[in-house]
Amino acid sequence: MSEEIVKFKGSRSGLVLVLDTTADFAAIEQDIRTKLESGSNFFRRGTVIQVLPGVLNEEDTAKLMKLFHQYGVIFRIADNEPAAAETVAETAAEPQQPITAAAADTGLTQNMTVVNRTVRSGQEVTSQGAVLICGNVNPGAEIVAGGSIDIRGTCRGIVHAGAYGDTSAFVIADHLMPVQIRIAGLIAQAPDQIEKPDCAERASIKDGQIIIEPIER
Amino acid sequence: MSEVIVITSGKGGVGKTTTTANLGVGLAMRGKKVVLIDTDTGLRNLDLLLGLERRIVYTLVDVIQKRATYEQALVRHKKYTNLFLLPTSQVADKTAINPEQMAELIAQMRNDFDYILIDCPAGIEQGFQTAIIGADWAIVVTMPEISAVRDADKIIGRLQAEHKEIKLIVNRIRPQMVKEGTMLDMTSIDDILSIECIGQVPDDEKVVDSANRGVPVVEWDSSQAGQAYRNIVGRMCGEKISFMEFPTEGFFTRLKHVFGH
Repeated sequence: MSEEIVKFKGSRSGLVLVLDTTADFAAIEQDIRTKLESGSNFFRRGTVIQVLPGVLNEEDTAKLMKLFHQYGVIFRIADNEPAAAETVAETAAEPQQPITAAAADTGLTQNMTVVNRTVRSGQEVTSQGAVLICGNVNPGAEIVAGGSIDIRGTCRGIVHAGAYGDTSAFVIADHLMPVQIRIAGLIAQAPDQIEKPDCAERASIKDGQIIIEPIER
Repeated sequence: MSEVIVITSGKGGVGKTTTTANLGVGLAMRGKKVVLIDTDTGLRNLDLLLGLERRIVYTLVDVIQKRATYEQALVRHKKYTNLFLLPTSQVADKTAINPEQMAELIAQMRNDFDYILIDCPAGIEQGFQTAIIGADWAIVVTMPEISAVRDADKIIGRLQAEHKEIKLIVNRIRPQMVKEGTMLDMTSIDDILSIECIGQVPDDEKVVDSANRGVPVVEWDSSQAGQAYRNIVGRMCGEKISFMEFPTEGFFTRLKHVFGH
């Protein structure tokens, strides 16, 4: 099987999937699967991979989206920026190159929303990317993020990380005691009696369930 | 220098009007020239608590709609001649006054008084907007109860968005229940609201009695709630007064009750 039919190229806006459009779609799909299996370090969960508009038809896009989703990679059609992909022609096919991986990460962190106050009842913070709250999230408040949520304070409201399906998203808080935690499509509800935890905690998805574990800050 | 203060809460029934009446009378007792504006159009109560219902001729709605000047609408208190009430209409509703008209009126009245206290209606709709617009700062009244604290939090968020300074009064505290752990204590309230507290008022049966008589409890020396209100008035005037210790029922006081004193 030729290695040329599927390539991942680095660009300013993250990784771009470049396809040999003459190849059979089944072969493309198989090749991507092999690459995802072998380069598991490179394709970290939450990595965003884009494809230029018009390369794939709708049905194939949906199939690939499902495939990437299994490996925790976000696949989407790139915004129509002319020449965005061509500007950085450097190949990203080498898994041991940390710079490109970091570049893919900054694509996400650039979208971070920072809120420097307490979010009160009835207030809502919504973001396509990650959210950092330097303050408390009070009961009745809602945080919805496409990425992860970090709360430098007490969280008592509703938090939804990975709201657009990113199952690798997580929620961190100094005191994590929300009414409800949602990550991607999963919902976890607080117990009837909740004690104030003494250390920072992280909620993430593990084995199809939302788990909470203590972390060091 | 006049101060315009709005008294608000979000939730109904926590004691906004009672607080307004008591702080108003308390400030007047100290010789300040005070006006209380009732903005709860359609559900006015402030006049009742002050025992002034029978003296009302014109209302806030008449003033806004230019049928009367605000001086004509003011009702002077029977006992404290430096205390005035600007009552609202019981027949009109909250759409009768918009925030811009209210701001204009406050600007007019400002120089004639030491304190202008605005009694805000419950809720967060137009009535709330109208009440807060002219205020320099806000007093948020809450109760040690999760729904009241939740609504206070929402109101604080709204007020902060309008850049108003906010102080908190926790009303109707039942020390015995707090001691037993069946009522929210000050620490848990402060944990959520994190707003400077200027008053902790105990639940007091005399408040009900005083409302029926139209004589605010702040005038009653024997009332604990009255003392708490007098302390708040002192703090508003810049005095440093520590919070009251509420006696809870110990073994001996309970014995006293059993033996009928």
